[in-house]
Order: sequence, then structure tokens, then C-alpha cells
Amino acid sequence: MNELLGTIDKPNVVESSCFLEGKEVTTSSFTKANRHYETVARQTFSYIFLNVGKHKSKHNEAHLEIGDKRLSGFLLKANRVLVCLSEKETNISDVRAHIQQVQHLIAKAEVERMLA
Amino acid sequence: MKDYKILFTGSVCSGKTTAIRSVSDIETLDTDAQASDVTVRRKKNTTIVMDYGVLDLNTETRVHLYGTPGQERFRFMWDMLTSEFAHDAIGMVLLVDNTRKDPFRDIRFYAKAFGDYLRKRRLIIAVTHSDVEPNPDYNRYLSELKDLGVMSTVMFVDARDPRAILGVIEELISAVERDIDWDQVRDRLLDINGFSLDFYKPLYEETLLDAAMNKRGVLGAMHIGEGQDLLCSNIDDASIKSLLLNINRLTDAISEKASFLGAVNNVVIAGPKVDTLSVFNDQNQSLCLKSDKDISLPVLKQQAGDLLQWSIDNDYLA
Ligand SMILES: Nc1nc2c(ncn2[C@@H]2O[C@H](COP(=O)(O)OP(=O)(O)O)[C@@H](O)[C@H]2O)c(=O)[nH]1
Ligand SMILES: [Mg+2]
Repeated sequence: MNELLGTIDKPNVVESSCFLEGKEVTTSSFTKANRHYETVARQTFSYIFLNVGKHKSKHNEAHLEIGDKRLSGFLLKANRVLVCLSEKETNISDVRAHIQQVQHLIAKAEVERMLA
Repeated sequence: MKDYKILFTGSVCSGKTTAIRSVSDIETLDTDAQASDVTVRRKKNTTIVMDYGVLDLNTETRVHLYGTPGQERFRFMWDMLTSEFAHDAIGMVLLVDNTRKDPFRDIRFYAKAFGDYLRKRRLIIAVTHSDVEPNPDYNRYLSELKDLGVMSTVMFVDARDPRAILGVIEELISAVERDIDWDQVRDRLLDINGFSLDFYKPLYEETLLDAAMNKRGVLGAMHIGEGQDLLCSNIDDASIKSLLLNINRLTDAISEKASFLGAVNNVVIAGPKVDTLSVFNDQNQSLCLKSDKDISLPVLKQQAGDLLQWSIDNDYLA
């Protein structure tokens, strides 16, 4: 899994990343200095996707700009969210494109995780 | 027949169309076309080419009133108006919406944009919407203008009131025409065009929504004030409304709890087959938007920034 996060993190696009299961972090590459962002991400994305689910809405990504940073949450399946931390100036479409590129790796890891 | 011309300009929603309409003897040829975007369901009109009205002061004297368009993509009309239609205007009226966060920025912007034009004619700064937002007040305008080195008369007007707009016209014309019975013109205008404040309501909120609806791809908007106070909304879907309100509440909570990280500027949620929903915060107010999913997020951000006046220059043209 950490290997996967290593692939997801990419200079100038994604600084740190983690996987959420509800409010819990399952794997993370957030550094100590960035821990607060991870906390914000946990609160934010669990709350948003819970709300989205309640309203039976089809939104599957959320972006939050806080200070100079942006947290992006991609809903992988119910309850499971991939979080990416980027600089505010990073183009969201770059982040999105990058995540799409590594999508198959994420999917593979998800399957492995289920089988484990 | 002696003909005079006056050119009106100012930011979107400053009251150009209203001012010209309030004193015009003809059905104003306000070439306000319905903006063609699908998005514009609510906002009635946006000046996209120019406003034009005519006012007869007596049988010998006629004033032609021209209004510049508000939208940036019609900026070429500014040149056309200043170099052709209104190249021989006696003066320019700059309408300044007092509810703008920094009305003086508008003045600097227009004084610069029309700098050459103003070298040869008088400028009147007509402050509108002061019934909604009384500050900055008259004295503040005088001192700011002095600092800016802008030579201008300042008048506080309600663009909907023909008497007020006639007063502005009188200020310009009476310098060259001494024989006009202004009281008579005033009475005649009130008879024809009337004036009532029945439709008065806090227009600031309405204009923000209207302005939002004029942005490409915007399908709905909601304006939230201090303390989660829902000021105005044209999003009817209860579910979307509640989702946006919840997200807004979340941004407040995070801004408060994690203030050391900086404020939450915005939250955007998107998906492959749904409208994009976003919340943009600006100190003590928030603008929520429902937009077409194909509008890119940088554009969306730019639009919201314009609307909340975070950006510096372009928001004058909205
Ligand atoms: N409360 C108030 N509303 C005004 C005033 N002047 C104009 N309005 C309203 O502001 C809105 C925008 O005016 P409009 O003439 O369309 O602005 P334009 O974009 O400059 O042509 C309209 O709803 C007017 O009725 C004013 O002095 N006070
Ligand atoms: Mg107009």
C-alpha cells in the first residue's frame, strides 16, 4: 500500500496522500508537518460524502482549499476515499488526470486489500 | 433643435440602464438582449451592446443618453461610443454602486479606462445604491477624489428616480443652456415615467444572484451572510440547498478549528453526471453555486472570485 502512495505522490501535483475508511486513516504518506491537513481531510471528506450519500447524489470528488493548500478527496466506493494534498495553485485537472493514470493501480490494491 | 449627448458608464448593476430609462422620452433602445447562455433563466436583461435614450428639455433642446455595456466581451463598444456615437458628448456620468466592496477601485478603473476621453469633458460621479449602503459617504468621496486627483462633481442618486437623474443632467447642461425650465421637465417626467419605490427591496442580494446567473455555466446561486444567514437563493431543489448549507457550515467549523492553517476559501464537489456544487467564502459571507459540470474549476473559481470581488481588475466588467 505504501508503495501505492509512493506512486500517487508526485512532485508538483500531489504532495501527500492517504486512504480513508469512514473517518479512519488506513494508509498515509502525510508527513508529521502535514498531519493537521490529514485531520481536516478526515473530518471534511467523511462529512461531505456522508451528506452526498444521504442526498443520493452522484458527486464522487470533493476539493477543499484551505490556506495555501488544497485537499482533494476521491470517493473510491462507499466509505472509502483517496485524499490528496496539493498546493493551492496546482491545477485540479492535473491532480485528476494523475489519479486517473494511477487508477488501475489503486483498483488493484483495493482488490488485494479485500483478499488479504 | 440643439442636441447634447451624455455618456453613462459604470460597473455591471450600477444602474446605467435604469438611469437612462428613468428619464427617457422614448422607449429606450436598450439593446439589452437576453444573454444567450442557457444559464440565464432568472436575470432578465444584461446590457450587451448599449443603452440609448432621448430626453427633450424643451422644443429646441434635446439630450441623447448613451450607456456603455457592462460585459467585458463588449468592451469594443466603449471605443465605439467614445470615438463615434458619443465622441462629442458634453460629459460623462460614472455610476458607482455604493454596495461594492471598494467603490473607489471602480472610480480608479473607469477614470483610467476613459482617461483620454475625460481630458476634454466633465465627469460626474453619481453614487447609486446608497439607500442600501450609505457608506462611504459624500465627504469620503470628496476626500478620496482629491487624493486620486480626479476632478469631478459627486452626486448621490437613486438611478430609479427620474428626479435624481434629471439633476445629474441639469448639472451638465445648465452650464451651457440657461433657458431651460427644469421644474417643468421634472413634472413632465414624473407624469410620464412615474416613480415608485414599491419594488424596493434590498437589492444587493438580488444583484449578486443576478450577476451570478450571468456567469457562464452557472445554474443557480445562493448567498449566505454572517451566522449562516441565508440571504437569498434561487436554488429550488431542497436537497441541493441543504447539501450546500451543510458544506458551508462545515467550512465555518473548519476555519474556526483549524484557523492556524488559514481560512477555508472554497469547497467544490463534482461528479461525472451531476452539476458541480461549490461554496466560496469571503470573510463573513459565502456564495454557493450550482454549475454545469463542464465548467472547469479554474473558471468557476475565477467567476466566484469576480462575484465576491476577490480579483483585482476584471471584476469591474464582470
Ligand atoms: N436600491 C437601489 N437599486 C438601484 C439603484 N439604482 C439601480 N438600482 C437597481 O439595480 C439593478 C441594476 O440596475 P441596472 O440599471 O440594470 O444596472 P446596469 O447593469 O448598470 O445597467 C436594478 O434592479 C435597478 O433597479 C439605487 O440607487 N438603489
Ligand atoms: Mg444595463
